[in-house]
Amino acid sequence: MLTKSTAESVLREALRTGGDFAELFCEDRRSGGMSLVDGHVETASTVRRHGAGIRVYSGLNSVYVHTNDTSPSGLIASARKAADAVRGSATPFDIHLTRALQKNIHYIREMPMDVEGARKAKLLRDCDLAAKAVSPEISQVRASLTHWNSDVLIANSEGLFTGDTRVYSRVYINAVASKDGDSQSGREAPGAMMGFEVFSTKADPEESARVAAQRAVTMLHADACPAGRMPVVIDGGFGGVIFHEACGHSLEAAAVAFGNSEFTGKLGQAIAAPCVTAIDDGTIANEWGSLNIDDEGNPTTRLVLIENGILKNYMVDRLNGRRMGTPSTGSGRRQDYTYAPTSRMRNTYIAAGSDDEAEIIASCPDGLYAKSMGGGSVNPVTGEFNFAVDEGYLIRNGKIDVPVRGASLIGRGSEILMKIDRVGRNMRMAQGMCGASSGSVPVNVGQPMIRVTDITVGGR
Amino acid sequence: MDSKTFINELLRRGADRGVASEVCYETGSSFEAEVKNGELLQYNVSDSAGLGFRVLKDGHTGTASTQILDDEALTQLVDGALENAALVESKDEQFMFPGSESYPELNLYNPEIEAIPAADKIDMAMKLEKLALSIDPRVKQVEGCSVFSSSEERRMTNTLGLDVTTKASLLGGYVSVVARDGEQVNTGTKIFFTMNPAEVDLEAVAKAAVSEAVGGLGGAPVESGKYRVLLRRDVAGVMLSTFAGIFSADNAQRGLSRLKGKEGEAIAADCVTIMDDPLRPDSPSSAPFDGEGVATWAKPIVENGRLNTLLHNLKTAKKQGVTTTANACRSSYAAPVGIAPTNFFFVPSEQDFDALLSELGDGLLITDLQGMHAGANAITGDFSLAAKGFTVEGGKIGRAVSQITVAGNYYQLLKDIEAVGADLEFRVPGTSCFGSPSLLIKDLSVAGK
Repeated sequence: MLTKSTAESVLREALRTGGDFAELFCEDRRSGGMSLVDGHVETASTVRRHGAGIRVYSGLNSVYVHTNDTSPSGLIASARKAADAVRGSATPFDIHLTRALQKNIHYIREMPMDVEGARKAKLLRDCDLAAKAVSPEISQVRASLTHWNSDVLIANSEGLFTGDTRVYSRVYINAVASKDGDSQSGREAPGAMMGFEVFSTKADPEESARVAAQRAVTMLHADACPAGRMPVVIDGGFGGVIFHEACGHSLEAAAVAFGNSEFTGKLGQAIAAPCVTAIDDGTIANEWGSLNIDDEGNPTTRLVLIENGILKNYMVDRLNGRRMGTPSTGSGRRQDYTYAPTSRMRNTYIAAGSDDEAEIIASCPDGLYAKSMGGGSVNPVTGEFNFAVDEGYLIRNGKIDVPVRGASLIGRGSEILMKIDRVGRNMRMAQGMCGASSGSVPVNVGQPMIRVTDITVGGR
Repeated sequence: MDSKTFINELLRRGADRGVASEVCYETGSSFEAEVKNGELLQYNVSDSAGLGFRVLKDGHTGTASTQILDDEALTQLVDGALENAALVESKDEQFMFPGSESYPELNLYNPEIEAIPAADKIDMAMKLEKLALSIDPRVKQVEGCSVFSSSEERRMTNTLGLDVTTKASLLGGYVSVVARDGEQVNTGTKIFFTMNPAEVDLEAVAKAAVSEAVGGLGGAPVESGKYRVLLRRDVAGVMLSTFAGIFSADNAQRGLSRLKGKEGEAIAADCVTIMDDPLRPDSPSSAPFDGEGVATWAKPIVENGRLNTLLHNLKTAKKQGVTTTANACRSSYAAPVGIAPTNFFFVPSEQDFDALLSELGDGLLITDLQGMHAGANAITGDFSLAAKGFTVEGGKIGRAVSQITVAGNYYQLLKDIEAVGADLEFRVPGTSCFGSPSLLIKDLSVAGK
């Protein structure tokens, strides 16, 4: 992409007005997408994104400039623009870049851009057929494929000159079941930081299509969920979105550093029930939220957030680390070169516990079993969260009873964490896209089956 | 390569391959300054350019896009778009448009915005933060405060004769404050945006954010049950934006909207008229042409409760035997052609907010809804959302309410609108811009205590 000497000149220019740290992030990304509706390929597209972002710090102030012009003169011009916004007092220092080679732990076999269109179309068609085979009530299936490979180069005034290639592949299935003018939908979207081989190894798109279709059919025949406070059993996998929303965002340095988090200043304190241990791990091979290095060039890490209920660590990026006086945890992430990075989650999950899953249901007072969760959001200041239950059932007399639709769960993160009284043995993860100030990034959420003693369920 | 040379060469190469081809070229610049405790925290500026290439072959279109304009990109775009077009199997015929006879005159670009020096915009953000901290002793913390400006130009040209350009600019910002009172904590946010810098009233913005945060302190749930509800204008606008997809002919034709075949029928209460107006002078979501280059015009989509038309592009119109409503949308140069409204809003009545409160009498005023991307199903219309607001007793606002959910179905909600207010307000413009006055709703399910 870019030579060391050009990068050095750009960083030097960026520090011309007394900034004390400068960073250059160059990205070349090729992505492809295909969608299939009603059994026919509807759209196919290819996208090339290319550009660079230049960041300068002066103390705790940060300037970010991004551009599509990555010619040496274009980068120098952007660096000048960044420098013009800085009134720093750092004494000029020499910049000498040293190439750092990162160990790659995410092996890619089939670059998705090179896979011929017909194979991609067949994958989507197989999903469509699998979903429709579930029931004659399946009235509509949308299947789409998205993949991208991003080459990044990161250089900074501390001498770092490194790069990485990230490859992602994911399939989305949305099945709609209809009857008598009523309709319900089910979604599944497996993916990984992998090439096209993910669809014959780690993920089973046809099985995902069947699961999505079955969910739509089940919910079509479900009554509205009753509203009120009740115990809720949340199943493993995407159920981990509860932790992601209710706690994860509030443990990001971007919220903690400014006191905009209910968990600010609580390191070493109990913030969850003793059965809860939670991890944020960017190092798992080929997982959707994994990386070799973060978007600031730091090696990614495995971080224990909560151990037996005690808060152990925050997720920290470089700038908020400066604010908090702690080193980066390799958690600096951004959607692409158009965003300045900030602290973000990677693969975040509640670790496996010791409770038997059958017992968790059998011993549960009448309440709700949330088999599959939708997305949600949180206000990190107040900890107030909300999320949707895509597939829910009532629990009656210790047994899973009738399905119910339209349920949502609301509460405050700090309260819910304390009210978890069971943690199952089988941790599973699921893929999501997490949106925040540095854009939309791939993350895994995960957990084993858990039980919350008391939570507000929205319904009708 | 400069963009004009690149575009000419690209269209020539498309013609050489025997296909109609089209370019959508966008350039833009943006600025944002975020302040914290009287200091500049984050300062972002950008220049961007991107080009989308679309070919039409045997009734199918294929697209490819790039952010680099070099020789390699020329080859990639032509090969990529043709290959993608060949993969498309849809039976629906797609089109490319040669251009309308004339286009409406719109002035969406205000050079004054780009002329504001960066230092002045930073000062605006500083002033907004300071104002927010000076209004109420319970607000001692600003969670976020920034001022932004942007300008964007789009040119669409094709080998059938289309060549049109539009340019828009915007100035805006927001402040988000935290109010505390003992153990109670609540946040409030106000966003502003305008095409006319002289209109900015920072004091009003700060006051609105503070009053939102302070007013909601001490919020507690109400008993679960059915409530008559007043949806404040901003909340009603969020709902409209979430469910606007039900008006898309594409969704209807696929069975993803229950408005399929409902043209001419009553789908909402008599008091409801919903306009799509691409010619609003003060909105960057306005445009003289749509995503296929068709000239735009203003039209009621729902008139006195009756559905006049769905939103169409050339493909869906042809399929249904009607003419396009010029609602083809390309959310960016890289996006395929879809359907979206432009400025889409409930037409206000003469009834002001206090009159609506009186008409409500006893019930709930909802001032905040969260979780629209998860708790709302755009196909079925079902929603179950975390909400905040106030009790209303005898037409007067009572205590703050929080930690409740509000559930219902949007198709039903349209029919259950009892009154439409006068207080029309638009949300932050994007590809589309949604607006609503406050809406009085017959009943919604609330989960609380």
